[in-house]
Amino acid sequence: MQKIIVDNVSLKFRMYHDGGTSLKEYFANLLRREKRKNYTEFLALKGVSFNVADGERVGIVGRNGAGKSTLLRTISRIYEPSDGNIQVHGRVAPLLDIGAGFHPEFTGRENIYFNGAFLGYSKDQLREIEKEVIAFAELEEFIDSPVKYYSTGMYMRLAFSLATTVHPDILILDELFVGGDASFVQRGKERMNNMIDKSSVMVLVSHDPSLLRSLCERFIWLDHGKIIADGDVSVLDAYCAS
Amino acid sequence: MTILKNYIFDIKDRHNVLMQLVRQQITLRYRRTLFGYLWTLLNPLLMMTVSAIVFSSIFRMDLKSYAVFLFSGVIAFNLFATTVTQCGQSLVGNEQLIKKVYIPKLFFPLAVSFAMLIDSVLMFISLSMIILTIGGHVSWALVGLLPAYVMLYFFALGIGLVMSVITVYFRDLLHIMAIIMQALIFLSPVYFKPETLSNKVRTLIELNPLTEFIELFRSPIFSGVFPPVQAYLHAALYALLSLTIGIWFFSKHEHRVTFRM
Repeated sequence: MQKIIVDNVSLKFRMYHDGGTSLKEYFANLLRREKRKNYTEFLALKGVSFNVADGERVGIVGRNGAGKSTLLRTISRIYEPSDGNIQVHGRVAPLLDIGAGFHPEFTGRENIYFNGAFLGYSKDQLREIEKEVIAFAELEEFIDSPVKYYSTGMYMRLAFSLATTVHPDILILDELFVGGDASFVQRGKERMNNMIDKSSVMVLVSHDPSLLRSLCERFIWLDHGKIIADGDVSVLDAYCAS
Repeated sequence: MTILKNYIFDIKDRHNVLMQLVRQQITLRYRRTLFGYLWTLLNPLLMMTVSAIVFSSIFRMDLKSYAVFLFSGVIAFNLFATTVTQCGQSLVGNEQLIKKVYIPKLFFPLAVSFAMLIDSVLMFISLSMIILTIGGHVSWALVGLLPAYVMLYFFALGIGLVMSVITVYFRDLLHIMAIIMQALIFLSPVYFKPETLSNKVRTLIELNPLTEFIELFRSPIFSGVFPPVQAYLHAALYALLSLTIGIWFFSKHEHRVTFRM
């Protein structure tokens, strides 16, 4: 069964050059005959198509600026494709940025409910898993302090634990989350492997070949917003050799 | 129509998200302050007390009845002004969330406006108690406040939706809004009766849609009678127009704001 269907997706990005338009510039712009735009448009993704089936672990590789993160964000619906279609079947747990969807003033416990809502959990579900999330993140002591006092590691543990306590159908992962303090990585890996065993989908972006080799069996190579190659570990070898 | 259907689906599907955002609005505002949520009530109460004392002596009105008069105007105006200005900030202020997790963008202005509505109702209840002790009267006409609240809320939300998008591209709007609101309170019959004014200013006030809404609040609270049906019809029309434009404008631009954050 196809879990993610990416069909000919393009994303036109607007990169703005300034912090905002000041009044002076605004009026100067009105008087100019040729309007100078304060943004450049470029295609971050160009006609990307691929499907991900149940149980697949996909690694996305490519140089900086190839569109890897943009692709993950588009799958997570943060960006709307300018062209083409994306269908995602199942509950998605995106782990893209540290502390994304956490409110710094809320305590860890409040953030379980706050962030949990964004991850698609219902309130009752969250009440059920609260204890388990805290235990897996090893945050019993600090769970009632505002998360703005947390260290990066604590942030990540809470985010990872929350996203994975109930098996998501689709886990979208940045390598940031696979790094982190050593013992947690081990348990994180166990849990992740466990999740994939239960026929979930994982999409991972990483620059680390050995990490990719250990977690993924299919690789998509992106360059300048296009798919260069899509296949088994030979794609990774080709990318590393290039 | 499909736009509206999609939005309603989003709200049903992810009502837990919306509730969390409303909760954030309400609980975080005064966290770690001594008076906490009381500030929401204290602030307008103190402002109104001072204004009532000053303006009742200027207009040579009885302080008690002027206080009731003022209260009915302020409650309507405040709901409008806070909803519009806070909605204006709702997208810009949640940049971190919008760029990093998927939440239907409509939820941000919606959550803020709900919080403002809750504030307004609480303020109404607590101030009514004070008004009753200084001699306001209760009548069946107060039931008429319910549709008035609904209409004013949607009217303000529609404008707030437009503001929330424009502010992303033109941040000066936040400051401009603050000035406009200050001016608008004097161009609405909040402190005075429009009948007492000279013709030119009076026409201006009669053109102001808020005048209609204030009338809907003032008749039941101050005079104890239902406002004329005509006033309800006008207000409903304004609300519908504002909401339609607001939703249309928002849906047209919401996907692009992510890039301008």
